[in-house]
Amino acid sequence: MDVFTLSLWALRLGFLALVYAFFFFVARALWRDLRAGVAGAGRPLARLVVMSSAESRPEAGTSIPLDAVNSIGRDVNNSIVIDDSFVSAEHALLTFRGRAWYVEDRGSTNGTWLNGQRIEGLWPLGFGDEIQIGQVRMRLDRPRTETPE
Amino acid sequence: MTAAVHALNRVGIRPRLRRRELGLLIIVSVALTVGWISYVSFRDGRLELADTAILTTYLVALFVIHGLFVISGRRMDEILFPTAAMLAGISLLMMQRLPQDLVTQNVAGNELGLGQLQLFWIVLGFSLLTAIALLVRSDGWLRRYKYTWAAAGIFLLLLVFIFGDVTGGARLTLRIGPVSGQPSELLKVILVVFLAGYLAENRRALSESSTRVGPIRLPPLPYLLPMLAMLGIALAIVIIQSDLGAALLYFLVFLGLLYVATRRISYVVLGMGLFLLGSFVLYELVPRVQERIDIWLNPWADAQGAGYQIIRGLYAYGRGGILGTGIGAGLPQVGSIPSIPAIHTDFIFAGISEELGMLGALALLGLYLVIAERGFRIAAFAVDDFRSLLATGLTLVIVVQAAIIAGGNLRVVPLTGITLPLVSYGGSSLLVNGAVIGLLLALSDRGVEPPVPGVPRGVRQRLGRRARALGGRVESALS
Amino acid sequence: MTENNSGFVPEQPDSRPLDATRSRLDPRRLRVHLRVRPRLDARGQTPHLSPVSANRPPRIAGSLLRLSIALALVYGTLGGGLLYWQVMQAHSLTTDAANPIVLAAARDAPRGTIYASNGDVLAENAAGNQRQRQYPYEVAAPVVGYNSTIFGTAGLEKSYDAQLTGLGSLNGADDLLRKFQALAYNPSDLHTSLDISLQESASELLGDQHGAVVAIEPATGRVLALVSSPTYDPNKVVDPRQGRSYVASLQSNTDSPLLNRATQGLYVPGSVFKIVTATAGLSSGSITPDTTYADQPGEIQTGFLVDGFRIHDFPRKVQTDHPLDFYEATEVSDNIWFAHAGLATGPMNLLQWASAYGFGQRIPFELPTSPSQVTDGGGSFGGFQDRVELANAAYGQAEVLVTPLQMALVAATIANHGLEMQPKLVDYLQASDGTVTQMPSKPLTQVCDASVASVIGQAMQQAVEGQYGKAFAGAAKVPGVPTAGKSGTAQLGGNAAPHSWFIGYAPADNPKIAIAVIVEGGGAGSQRAVPLAGQLMSEYLAENP
Repeated sequence: MDVFTLSLWALRLGFLALVYAFFFFVARALWRDLRAGVAGAGRPLARLVVMSSAESRPEAGTSIPLDAVNSIGRDVNNSIVIDDSFVSAEHALLTFRGRAWYVEDRGSTNGTWLNGQRIEGLWPLGFGDEIQIGQVRMRLDRPRTETPE
Repeated sequence: MTAAVHALNRVGIRPRLRRRELGLLIIVSVALTVGWISYVSFRDGRLELADTAILTTYLVALFVIHGLFVISGRRMDEILFPTAAMLAGISLLMMQRLPQDLVTQNVAGNELGLGQLQLFWIVLGFSLLTAIALLVRSDGWLRRYKYTWAAAGIFLLLLVFIFGDVTGGARLTLRIGPVSGQPSELLKVILVVFLAGYLAENRRALSESSTRVGPIRLPPLPYLLPMLAMLGIALAIVIIQSDLGAALLYFLVFLGLLYVATRRISYVVLGMGLFLLGSFVLYELVPRVQERIDIWLNPWADAQGAGYQIIRGLYAYGRGGILGTGIGAGLPQVGSIPSIPAIHTDFIFAGISEELGMLGALALLGLYLVIAERGFRIAAFAVDDFRSLLATGLTLVIVVQAAIIAGGNLRVVPLTGITLPLVSYGGSSLLVNGAVIGLLLALSDRGVEPPVPGVPRGVRQRLGRRARALGGRVESALS
Repeated sequence: MTENNSGFVPEQPDSRPLDATRSRLDPRRLRVHLRVRPRLDARGQTPHLSPVSANRPPRIAGSLLRLSIALALVYGTLGGGLLYWQVMQAHSLTTDAANPIVLAAARDAPRGTIYASNGDVLAENAAGNQRQRQYPYEVAAPVVGYNSTIFGTAGLEKSYDAQLTGLGSLNGADDLLRKFQALAYNPSDLHTSLDISLQESASELLGDQHGAVVAIEPATGRVLALVSSPTYDPNKVVDPRQGRSYVASLQSNTDSPLLNRATQGLYVPGSVFKIVTATAGLSSGSITPDTTYADQPGEIQTGFLVDGFRIHDFPRKVQTDHPLDFYEATEVSDNIWFAHAGLATGPMNLLQWASAYGFGQRIPFELPTSPSQVTDGGGSFGGFQDRVELANAAYGQAEVLVTPLQMALVAATIANHGLEMQPKLVDYLQASDGTVTQMPSKPLTQVCDASVASVIGQAMQQAVEGQYGKAFAGAAKVPGVPTAGKSGTAQLGGNAAPHSWFIGYAPADNPKIAIAVIVEGGGAGSQRAVPLAGQLMSEYLAENP
């Protein structure tokens, strides 16, 4: 068992060990991500609170949790379905893009109203702003911080 | 330095340090260097670090890409790229170690061997990766024209079908002038784009409604049909071309995506049932399928013929043992004849298992699982369904493909010829898989600024609009 | 969702304060859209849904978790595949004859030599051609076998292939550590226990007759001689010029020279099996050394009638005036006494002790062995068909079939006070780096008590040296040395000449050699097997006093 062979094997095993070292650091990173993810997972980014509606459908005060992308309309394929005669099938899109919320009208017949203003195209909004879609008036609010359900 | 940063800031680019990526890349570099020393030392019989041109080029490329990522300031995943770098690095080591005349190509008067060619393709693939990761800021071009993409992909396959070259009994390669490639590699990405687009739109319908035939509830056929038609065409073409690996991959990725989109296990069960039925029919009808399955069940029945490759592969596992023989010390060839046919492509996993042992092979599988974890994480955190499904599909394409070929090598499933992503030799495979990783990186940046509303100005926007208009027309015609 | 960069300039939100009335719908607009309503309705009416619902398909993240689990299972299976091939199957794959590494090993490192116990070479690489083996002693063929590039390997060349080529050692940890050594291959020499002069004598004495001889050192299980006749010339098998035609001629030869009769030939044992019956009877307490059967003297004339089948004494009747006890019955080899004893012992006991000797299973050995049997099995009488079969089996007829190796072990077990040692051919391995690996003797089974073994041994000594016994087995007597043994004449039915058998050991008081001899069609035991065994034991004891 000479020196050369031994060092050769040290190198070979060293290579394997380094590949596993890579795994170790990756695993540590994954673990941190996972913990960070668990801390913030499952919480909605924001919510819409219904302020008023025709015939109390939906009732005022109803709170709708929001994901990053929320399509609003009368069609079932929307994430928020509003069954109101004045709502188009694909009415509006409410999205969170990194840092801010945006609302976008998708060519609805009756339009999307932001703080009483009919909007076209993409429009930024913040917490407290009001959106009107059909006969339903809603306010963008911070997500509830109480105990998770 | 600060002046440069200020200059960048002025044009709206804010560099962002990527410490994790840097640390991991340093480990990758050290590991590859150690592996390289162990290889050349064994080869030359003395401790040394020689022939470093290839290694150095590769490592420099890695850090240049890292630098570009940093400068761009995108908030992308920091683990995917080092993982891909490790896989490609191991690939480079193996290719350098194999007989260089397995593949040769004359480029500008220089005869390039296997290692140099692989380096070339890896660098090209990683350049594509970088370009996509940095430049793709919107996914509209993928999401909006799914039918167009699908049609283009199938058209490409049809081209191969008509003009393709036959390699290894399968019609795989398309040659246009000096450039040749395997479009079935590209089609897998196109298929994922199409499926992601289609499923994102229709997944609610697919997961909730159903077609009733009398008392029997069936999946909602009207919603399934376009997808099935697309898959059917793709499968039919690759099966007729005997590209069974690609067929298996398409099918599994389709099932995986369908499940993720709908979470209906009945689809998976139905799909597997159809798969078994289909396999049985193919077994009866296609001699190649029959041969593959027979070899899988008993390779020793024809040890010198059809079972030769897989038996040689098994010998390689046996020789490798737990620790492996060390890079360069395996027996991939007797004299000048490779011990395992196609060791640089389909059987690279066996080659790696021999020289790096079970530990090395497990690490290799682990790298794919890391890609899976990152890909699924990107999918889970994506801002909408299309991006989610796209990330899922792209991830599946890589990890399922790796499992298909590793399983085939290990005689866990019947052997079907397909590359080990990012490791096997081959330009098409490296380019496409580089693009896939690049797309995943681009998708991982959740903080994409919204498109700034503004008046379109200049030629670029006008061209863009025309292209979109054309695309829209093609799209509506197709759908 | 981000494709809306086609660019409209939204109006700047005006600074008017929010007016509740303005946010109501204009009544005119309302009418307009009431007209349009039916068209819109047709597209997306879903009456079962609540007016506003966070109605979403299953969350993708949840499905991903399940997909990840499935994927982990798939990859786990792949890891299992690696474990299977790279650890569990690694040894057999690495030593597979078709493996290129075996060829490479032959090229890089000369195959180890096989030695007899006196140091004579039994197998070595031909001078000038490392790939071809040569075998100086043709008589050792049943033990050594051959190593041919065309026909593969047999014998010790096969069972120690990994060690001879240096591709594997006997324990896995060595294989792992061997990787750290400069020498990739570490071929070992085999040092066997084979006494080549005994082997040669046995072969000479058998001559052209078919048969087998197995000699064992009782205390250790070392095999001293293992002869099968006819045999073959391994040099011709490995000769690339004539190998094919030679092997073809061996395979078509009806005398089956390729069959190793000593370990795989199955023979009717005849009276030598009585030792097994005696072991079962005495150990179970069914008989004692003093047991006599009152009807037995008379039945010698008339035959012993068992359920309508009449048992006679073969090969020669010795009429006595009194009932025989165990010693006398063994001495004169009385079938009728043993038929009685067998019936008294019963099927269960006979099978139990026979199986303790190794009947019914392959004897663990370095060469392939066939299992010996007492009965075909499946019968309703404890495995036997009926009492008739048991009575006949008790003296070694009926369906009893044995290998010579098994009978040599029976003799060696009695010689070794009832403790059966595992037979072995290789004493130690010496690797090319000088490492010596001893192959220790291993006890196999304590078949019977030492007291039982001593009673049987005494009877066997009487069978060779006693007044009546001399007539049968006296020729086995080693001059000046107490000798124990039992002859046998295996009736084959019809007019076929019986097989001539002898098992025994010497010296009876301190056994150094136990032997089993069978000569096919050799007639009565006393004719061929007995003198042959006597001569071999004498020779061996003369050289190894």
